[in-house]
Amino acid sequence: MKFIKKTIPLLIVFVVGVLSLISYYVPHKTSVNFIELMSKWENIVSAFAFLLGLISLFFSHYHKISRKVDGWGYSIFVFIGFFAIIIPAILNHGKSMTAAGPTSLGWAYSSIYTALSGTMFAVLAFYIVSTAYRSFRIKSKQAFVLFVAAFVLILGKVPLGQIIWTSVLGWTHVTVSTVIDWIMTVPAVAGKRGIMIGIAIGAIVTSFKIIFGIERQYLGKD
Amino acid sequence: MSETWMIAGAWLSAGLTIAIFSFLYKDNPFFKIAEHLYLGAGMGWLFQVSVFSVWGPKIWTPVSHGDWLVIIPSLMGISLLTQFIPKLSWISRYGFTFIMGYGSGLAIPATLSTDFMSQILGTVQPLSLMASMSPFAIFNALLVAFGVICVLFYFFFSVEHKGHFQKVSNIGIYFLMVYFGAAFGNTVMARFSLLYGRFDSLYASSSARNFYATQIILAGMVIYFVLHSFFGKKGPAEGEAAH
Amino acid sequence: MLKENLQKFFKIDRRWIFLLLAVCIFVPIMKPLGLPNKTIAPETKRVYDYIEKLPPGSFVLFSLDYDPSTRPELHPMATAIVKHAFRKNLRVGVVTYIPGATGMIEEIFETVGKEYNKTDGKDYVIFPYMPNIVAAMTQMASDIYGMYPMDRNGRDTRTMPVLDGIKNYKNVSFVVCITGTAILDYWVAYVGDKYSVPVAGGVTAISQPGYGPYLQTGQLKGLLGGMKGAAEYESLIQSPGKGTSGIDALNLGHLLVLALILTSNIIILIVKFL
Repeated sequence: MKFIKKTIPLLIVFVVGVLSLISYYVPHKTSVNFIELMSKWENIVSAFAFLLGLISLFFSHYHKISRKVDGWGYSIFVFIGFFAIIIPAILNHGKSMTAAGPTSLGWAYSSIYTALSGTMFAVLAFYIVSTAYRSFRIKSKQAFVLFVAAFVLILGKVPLGQIIWTSVLGWTHVTVSTVIDWIMTVPAVAGKRGIMIGIAIGAIVTSFKIIFGIERQYLGKD
Repeated sequence: MSETWMIAGAWLSAGLTIAIFSFLYKDNPFFKIAEHLYLGAGMGWLFQVSVFSVWGPKIWTPVSHGDWLVIIPSLMGISLLTQFIPKLSWISRYGFTFIMGYGSGLAIPATLSTDFMSQILGTVQPLSLMASMSPFAIFNALLVAFGVICVLFYFFFSVEHKGHFQKVSNIGIYFLMVYFGAAFGNTVMARFSLLYGRFDSLYASSSARNFYATQIILAGMVIYFVLHSFFGKKGPAEGEAAH
Repeated sequence: MLKENLQKFFKIDRRWIFLLLAVCIFVPIMKPLGLPNKTIAPETKRVYDYIEKLPPGSFVLFSLDYDPSTRPELHPMATAIVKHAFRKNLRVGVVTYIPGATGMIEEIFETVGKEYNKTDGKDYVIFPYMPNIVAAMTQMASDIYGMYPMDRNGRDTRTMPVLDGIKNYKNVSFVVCITGTAILDYWVAYVGDKYSVPVAGGVTAISQPGYGPYLQTGQLKGLLGGMKGAAEYESLIQSPGKGTSGIDALNLGHLLVLALILTSNIIILIVKFL
């Protein structure tokens, strides 16, 4: 049983991993055919992954409704939202637009999904402002450097800020856009590149660990 | 879509938008309804796109044409769902190991080339072209190289921060701070842009053509909060979440 | 006394600040300030120049990977670049790896396609959503039709005039990825670097600074960043849209944030010395 439960899955990760890696460097027809097949399969396997989220969401809200826990009435709206999209999708075979204009699915997309999804993230704008007011403290030299970079970016990205910069610092003949360009192409590149190289080394090591079965937390418990 | 549907859409869109924004004042049932609708609608959209774009053309159509090979990845995909049955959850390993093996195998060479080798090359290469560069460009190229080294020192020699090592890694922090500062500055713009998008939509819904949807819904929301503050009981779920 | 009064500023109900921000963003929407974007970032100009140089009939692949949560920043960019491509009579293919993008892709081609009199299947093709980015990118390297035998409406892609002579990346002149996720990184790593396909991007302002290294090495041919990037491109193609009006509306908001940060830090400084 251990062979079926553990050994074969570890063999799959090893064989698929090593052959995929090799395929990157070997342009031979067999290698290309192999990676083509694996890519098609990977695409199909991934198409089921979201069901994990969908089923657990439905389970949790179904339980809330069936057990009538506090606020169970709101859980009904999860299903209403789901069917508000699914029913028009079935009626229109998944088409949100036709030559005649948007279908009922397109209507649900712009009136329900776009409004909800867009606003959920737009709310964060308010919190970033109050956080800037309450928590942005210039207490050290490093915080001061962060502040200067942020200040120049916030000011220089909008026309009114550019006008203010020119009227105060116009005599230097250095525009705020030039300063932003320098920040983004010199010190920010150095900072990000350091992070990038660090993450790359970490990602490569982790990938090898997965292929060789050293990292197997994702397999779950026995 | 008829004109009536478009107006109904403007009302629905404005109503849901204001319901979510109302959380900024105080947690309330309208926000909770919108929040739950969002979860459902988001999943609904993902589900319908997957069914009509992937399951149909990539699985159902080939199988109905006799291409049985796609059943293998489909079974591996379905195996992921055994996660919900503790006794059978080991079956999901067949799907997960395939995904992890394929992803890791391709990630190694791509990361090595793009985020490691090319970045080192990009740091060193400008130094070899100094003869044709202006003094300011030379200074910038040297600064990038110096900055990258300092940041790497900060990351990889974090245990032995003493003497010169400490100085170098401290300089690395300044480069990181410039990057984070730039990222923060841009985050402000990004968040405001999203807010602009929703406000712009509310403004469109406020027109006479849409029968002043925004104004009427907003007024209704204000009346609700006023009445609630006079007559409502303060339940545990309706504390002042905005504080 | 003064110290206590000053400290009261930090105890202010934050809903007042929320209201102030709402006013700063909403008022310019109702009454535009008339301060449109005037500067053009060099990396935006590079995207424009690249498309400008492509001969008519070249095939440009758009990867439009954003959902409604980042629509205000990315949708105007996508619309502007597609407009530019149509104006130059380029052939356009669209892929997406974000399910929420499909509705907005339809919207772009419904409006811009009609504006430039372009036909689905002849001048452009919209491929269906695919769940795995790396798998789709890897497959397209040898045969695009292996991953996309049909368009999003189930029509055979092999017989489409827009895809005449297109088999894999060798036939793709330019890739433009517009995204609020890390999908642009995948285009750079799995397609741009490996198959020497020129890749450019359009990203949210948040992730823009992170692409500096790719721009410096030339792994990215150009980049549009956030609402400003969209406004810049709109002014380059002389077709003002939501990016242009958006940047006008952000003016007061940006100054409000700066004023708040400065005020709070000055108060702290005064309190410290009192």
